[in-house]
Amino acid sequence: MTIPASEMEGHAVPPLGESEEGVAGKVAGRSPTQLAMARFRADKLSMISFYVSCFVVFAAVASPILVKIGVFDPDGLNQDKLNTDLGGIPHGAFGGVSWSHPLGLTPGNGEDLLSRLSFSMTYSLGIALTGTLITVLIGVVLGIISGFSGGFVDATVGRFIDLTLSFPQTMMLLALAAPTVLLIRKDVSELPLLGFLENPDLANGLFVVIILSAFGWPPVARVVRGQVLSIREREFIEAAKLIGASRKRLYFKEVLPNVWAPILVYTTLLIPAYISAEAAFSFLGVGIKPPTPTLGNILRDSVSWTTADPTYFFLPGIVLALTVVAFNLVGDGARDALDPKTHR
Amino acid sequence: MAISKKPFAALAVAALATTLVACGGSDGDNGGGSKSEGTAGGNAIFYNGVRNTEHWDPQRMYIGRDLNNSGRLFYRSLVAYPASNDPVKGTTPIPDLATDTGTSEEAGKVWKFTVRDDVKWEDGKAITCEDFAYGASRNFATDVIIGGPANYLFTYLDIPTGKDGLPEYKGPFKKTGQDLFDKAVSCDGNTITYKMKKPWPDFPQSIASLRYLDPYRADLDKGDASNFQIISNGPYKLDGKWTEGTGGKFVRNTNWDAKTDTIRKALPDTWQFKEGDTEETIYEQFLAKTGDANFGVTERRMPPTFYSRIAEAGKLYTKVESPFVDYVLPNFNSPVFKDIKCREALKFATDKTAWINAGGGERAFTPAYSAVNPSVPGYEKNAAFGDIPDNGDIEQAKAALAECSAPKPVKIKFTYSGGTPTSDKQASALKAAWDKAGFKTELDPLADTYYSVIQKPDADFDVTWGGWGADWPSIGTVIPPLFDSRINITPSSNGNDYGNYKGGPEVDAMIDAAYAETDLTKAASLWAGVDAKLGEDVAYIPLEITIFNFLHGSKITGYSNNVSTNGYADLATIGVTK
Repeated sequence: MTIPASEMEGHAVPPLGESEEGVAGKVAGRSPTQLAMARFRADKLSMISFYVSCFVVFAAVASPILVKIGVFDPDGLNQDKLNTDLGGIPHGAFGGVSWSHPLGLTPGNGEDLLSRLSFSMTYSLGIALTGTLITVLIGVVLGIISGFSGGFVDATVGRFIDLTLSFPQTMMLLALAAPTVLLIRKDVSELPLLGFLENPDLANGLFVVIILSAFGWPPVARVVRGQVLSIREREFIEAAKLIGASRKRLYFKEVLPNVWAPILVYTTLLIPAYISAEAAFSFLGVGIKPPTPTLGNILRDSVSWTTADPTYFFLPGIVLALTVVAFNLVGDGARDALDPKTHR
Repeated sequence: MAISKKPFAALAVAALATTLVACGGSDGDNGGGSKSEGTAGGNAIFYNGVRNTEHWDPQRMYIGRDLNNSGRLFYRSLVAYPASNDPVKGTTPIPDLATDTGTSEEAGKVWKFTVRDDVKWEDGKAITCEDFAYGASRNFATDVIIGGPANYLFTYLDIPTGKDGLPEYKGPFKKTGQDLFDKAVSCDGNTITYKMKKPWPDFPQSIASLRYLDPYRADLDKGDASNFQIISNGPYKLDGKWTEGTGGKFVRNTNWDAKTDTIRKALPDTWQFKEGDTEETIYEQFLAKTGDANFGVTERRMPPTFYSRIAEAGKLYTKVESPFVDYVLPNFNSPVFKDIKCREALKFATDKTAWINAGGGERAFTPAYSAVNPSVPGYEKNAAFGDIPDNGDIEQAKAALAECSAPKPVKIKFTYSGGTPTSDKQASALKAAWDKAGFKTELDPLADTYYSVIQKPDADFDVTWGGWGADWPSIGTVIPPLFDSRINITPSSNGNDYGNYKGGPEVDAMIDAAYAETDLTKAASLWAGVDAKLGEDVAYIPLEITIFNFLHGSKITGYSNNVSTNGYADLATIGVTK
C-alpha cells in the first residue's frame, strides 16, 4: 500500500517524516504522510494520472533496453512500405498500422513510430527529471539561505532572482546553443569521468538541462523563502539557536523538513513543464538533433504531414498532451493531498 | 549554349540551381505554367523562403536563384538570355547593355563590346565603359569579394600569374598590379576590350549566365560592406534597405528606359522579396488560393507532404528536370577521409535510393552517376559510380572499411543544409546506410548560412552535401569550378571545392589540356577523363538530379519555368492580376 507514495516521493523527495508504523490498537495514529497518501489515493483522477505517469516512466526506462535487444528499432528504414508516388506516405490505413508497426510508420523513411515515441520518452523524461532536480536543488538552497538570513543576503538573492527572471530565456537559449554545446563536447568532455559528453545527444541534452535549471529556479526559491520567513520565527528555531546549533543544522535539519510539502508540489509541477519545454526547444531546433527521437523532433517532423498523413500528425501530439496532463494532475493531486487548506 | 549556375541549397535539401539544356523539356506532365501574357500593374512577391540570399553584390553572387532574379529585375549585363523556354534560344545571348553580342578577334582571344550610350544607373548617371572595367577588376580582390565565379577570369584573362598560381593583379582595393589589369581590360570611348590568354568562344555565355562582369560603380564601392547594396540599372530599384532574413521591396526605377530593353517586361509595379517563410506556409497559401502567396512565386520546391494534393493545384503545378546534380563530398582535410579506402567505403555505402525516397521519391529526384548533368554535351556516366547499385553495395563497403586506417568504429560528421524536415529525413536515410556499413555518423544540420560555413578550409566536418549545375552547357563550367584546387583553395576559403580536394599536378594538367582543346567534341572527352579521375579519387559521390516541382500563386500571369532561368520562374515576363 505504500508503493505509490514511495514511488512518487522517490523521484524527488525523501519521505516527509517517519510514519509510526506498527502502532497497534484500535485507535491508530496516522502521521501527516499517511494522511496525505490517503487523501491522494481517494482522488480517482490523481490515481489514474499517476498510473499513466508510471507507464510513461516505465517506457522511458525500458526503451533503451528494448532497443538494445532489438525489439524496438527507432532508426531502421522501411522505405519499401511507403508509397513513393505520394511523397513517401506509408501504404495501408492509418499511416501504415500493422502488427509489426502498431502505431504505423513515419512518412519518408518508414521508421517505426511506436519505437520512436517510446524511445523519445527516455530523452524527454531524462532531461525533464534532471532539469527538475537541479532546479529544485538550487531553488531550495538559495531560498532557505535567503529567507533565514534576511538582511543583506536576502536582498542580494532577491535582486539576483529579479535579474534571472528578467533575462530573455529563449533568446539566450538560441544564441548560446552552438557555442555552449561545442564547449561541452570539446572541453568539458576532456575532464575525468565526463568523456560521455562527447556524444552529441548527451551534450545537447545537458545544454537544455543547464538552460532549464538556470532559468527555472527563481520561483522555487521565492516559494521556499516565503515559507522559511514564517518558520524562522517559530519557537523550535529559537530553541535550536539557543543551544548553539550550527547554521548548517538550522537550515537543513530544522527548516528543511518543514518546507517539504511545497517543494514536493513544485517538483511534480515542474516535470510536465519541462517535458513540454524540451519539446518546444527541439521544435525550435535547439536541443537534441534529429534523427534522434525526442518528442520535439518527432513533432517537428509530423506537423508538415497534417493532411497527407493525419495519423502521424496526431499521435505524437496526443502522446505529448497525455504525458504532460498526467504529470500535471499528479502534481495537482499531490498539492491537494499535502495541503488540503489551499483551494484551487 | 546554355546555362546555369550554382547551387544552392534548397530547401529540402537539395537544391540547386540551374539549368541546362535539357531541362526545359522535361517529362510528361511538365507544365510550362500559365502561358497567357502577363498583365501590367499590381504588386508581386518572390519568396526566398528559408534560404536567405547571401550576396546581392553582382561579383559575389553564384546562386542560380539570385543570379536569375537580379538579372531579370535590377542588374543588366552586356548580354543576357531572352525569356525563352527553347533550349537553343533560351541559352543564346542577345544584346542587353551592349549594342551587339560582342565581336571577337584573334580566334576568340580578344572580345570587344560597345556599351549603349542611352542607359543609366538608378541615380541618373550614365553607365560607362569604365563601370564595366571596374566591375571586372573586383573579381580579383579575393580577400574581399568572396563567393563569386572569379575562377573564369583567373583562368582566361591575360594577366600573368605569380608563383602561387594566382594572378599578379590583386583587385581595385589593393591595386597591386593595376597596370596589368588595365592592359587586359581597356576602354576606348564606349568600347570595352577584354584580352584573353587563350581562346574563349563561350565568353558571351559566361556574361549572360553569371553576373561577374556586370558594371559596378567605383564611387559607391564599400567592399564587403556593399554585399547587400543594390545599385540598380534595371527596371526596379531597392526601396530602402535589404534586411537579411526579412527581404526587401523593389519599386520602379525611373531611370530605366523600356526602349533600351527588349528582355524585361517589368509588369508589376513592385516586387517584394520575402525571406523566412517555410515551404509549408507558402504552399498552403498557393493551394488555398488565398493570402499573400496568391500574388507570389517561389524557388522553393514543393515539399513531398504536398504530393498527394497536386491534383488540387491544377494549372498552378509545374514540373521540370533541373540542371543540377546533388552529391556528397568527403572532406580531404578530415583525418578519416584523407585515406582513399575510407572514401571508397563511403562511396559503396551510399544509398541513393534511400536518399531519394526520403526526399519525395521519383517525382522529386532521379539518380545521378556523375557530378555532370546528363543534359550537358559530352556527359558520360562516371565509371567509378555507374556500376554500384543505386542502393549501395554493403559488402564492398564493409570490405573497404576494413582497410580504412581510421580507428573503428569510424566516426564521421555529416554537415548538410538542414532546417527542414525533408532535409533531416534524407540525412537520416544516408546515415542509416552509412552506419549499416560500419560508420558511426553524426548529423550536423546547418539552417541559416550554409556555404559560408563549409567554405572554411578548417571547418569541422567529414562529409558535406553540395549541388551544382553547369554555368552554361559545358563540362568546363562544372569540373574546374568545383574541383580545380588552384582556383578554389585560398587560405581563407575553399571556394566551391567544399571537400578541399587537391588534384595535384596530374589533375591540373588534365584540366589545362581540356581547356586548351578547341574542338568541342574532343574537349568533352578530355573533360570526361578528368571526371573519371575524380571518380577514382572519390572526390565526390553523386546522389541525384533534382526535379523541380513548383506551384505559383493563382493571381500570377505569364508564368514560365524557362530554360533561360535554369528552370526557375522567369521574372522577366511575370505579371499579377488584381
